[in-house]
Amino acid sequence: MFHINTSSRYRSLFVGFLALIFLAGQPQAKGQDTSPGIDFFSGINFSFADMNFYRQYDVLLHLTPGFKWNMGNHWQLTGQAMIPIINTFGEEYKYVQIGAFNISKEMRISKSYLKATVGVFDMYRYGADLKAFVPLSDRLAFEGQAGYVGVLYFDSSAHLYKPDRFVWTVGGDIYLPRWNTQFRGTVGRYLYQDFGCEAEAMRHFNHTTVSVYGRWSGEYGLDGGFRIVIMLPPYHRKHRAVNFRPASNYRMSYTVMYKSYANCMYHTDPEQNERDGWFSRDLLHWGSHTMEPDFIITNKTEQQ
Amino acid sequence: MKHLIINVLIAIIALWFLPLAGQAQQYNGTSGMVHIPTGEMHHEGDALIGAHFLNKAMTPDTGFLYLGEKYNTFDYYIALTPFSWIEMSYVCTERIHAKDEQTGHIKWSKDRYASVKIQPLKEGKYYPAVAIGCNDVLTSAFFKDKPDVQLYFTNVYVAATKTFTFSGNELGLTVAYRHFFRGYNAKWNGVVGGITFRPSFFPQWRLMVEYTGNEFLLGTDVLLWQHLRLQASLKDFKYVNAGLCLQFNLLGKKYRY
Repeated sequence: MFHINTSSRYRSLFVGFLALIFLAGQPQAKGQDTSPGIDFFSGINFSFADMNFYRQYDVLLHLTPGFKWNMGNHWQLTGQAMIPIINTFGEEYKYVQIGAFNISKEMRISKSYLKATVGVFDMYRYGADLKAFVPLSDRLAFEGQAGYVGVLYFDSSAHLYKPDRFVWTVGGDIYLPRWNTQFRGTVGRYLYQDFGCEAEAMRHFNHTTVSVYGRWSGEYGLDGGFRIVIMLPPYHRKHRAVNFRPASNYRMSYTVMYKSYANCMYHTDPEQNERDGWFSRDLLHWGSHTMEPDFIITNKTEQQ
Repeated sequence: MKHLIINVLIAIIALWFLPLAGQAQQYNGTSGMVHIPTGEMHHEGDALIGAHFLNKAMTPDTGFLYLGEKYNTFDYYIALTPFSWIEMSYVCTERIHAKDEQTGHIKWSKDRYASVKIQPLKEGKYYPAVAIGCNDVLTSAFFKDKPDVQLYFTNVYVAATKTFTFSGNELGLTVAYRHFFRGYNAKWNGVVGGITFRPSFFPQWRLMVEYTGNEFLLGTDVLLWQHLRLQASLKDFKYVNAGLCLQFNLLGKKYRY
């Protein structure tokens, strides 16, 4: 089964996003990690759940090969496949899925930073997404995200449903540079149409970020947990036109109550994480981006 | 290389005496002795991941029964000290539920809990370090008045530790007051305490004796190559507990112990 059904409302939104992308101003700086070139990378997506009396944990291990084509000026085409390697979660998880296949553009307009993305995201979603980040000072910033998405997933055939869900979050960030500590609070309407809020406290260490969070969903109630983001070596890399590397980070998110439909939001970038945030380091110098960089990337040509 | 060989030799000698002395590190990843907390803290940025064999004498008298008998089990944990004044850990303790009569398989589950420890007062020249803390903090907060909710390891405490140094050796004295929320752990309520000793020739090695409120416990631990911590103890002089953990400092700092 494969069917596409788009509405005029979606087409209008899509055209609007494209217009916004093309009308945007040029970025203010070129980034060391966003120099033109294509990166091929792979990591693993490791999920485990304590839901079975006869096993320590149910395990779902995906291999996640992908690519990022930085086209310059913060244009990026990215793609990722989710290939199940080990699966004790159930039959519905045995199929290869698309983790990402989208084009994005980061930009700065006045004091605001925007990132627009169109294409396929994770969480079996596709559509259009816009993120905004507005630093008020070195310590305070506002953020927002909005998306209009539909469902896309694969089993023995492809299933594509027209976009019908508008999701959004707004919130604020407080960063304390002396302690490399960040507080983040958001409210919003999430992927399963539940209203809710989330508060998170992060401590950024060398190459690692650890956070605890609490959240509330009007539909599913209270929950909480912790997250760990580890930036993976090698930390010194050479930049070439074509690069092969491991995934930039390993991200683990633990939830106490396992309310899998509560406060859900898709990721547009396959390497998106709480430490790096939404924007490239060379474009947005705020929060953990003011710390020593995790990766020192030297240009192959310059080195020669 | 010479230093490494000496370290290994001393560690082997220390481990040789483990059946007599035991190893130490609290079984839930937070700083302390074996069964009792101390006023001291891990270093800022320390992250630990480990597992601990728990003798049946270390588990509560309810909730860890199979066919009416207590059983030996183990737990595993991750712990972090995000700042010098706060530690957090998350612990899973294995439980045997029942045996499936049809398949013969044992049904397992886990008791999960979080611990938080805060040090409002660091040790000074004339006063001790003081810490307060709580195990199983989330369920403690929400369900303390509901008798059917599992609070197997739930307790709150305040602990004070003062260390004395002589000839490079370090002697630590700890006094704590601890309260468990459930009656089946009441034997460990009240005033508890212990003594630790680090020899000057190998300060990564720690010997300790503690009173848990119900029995005495001998323990020892050693930190090898700055990352591997081994621990063992003898509870009531006969029940062996042991564990190991990997320890890293996420700020990249190096400490002797």
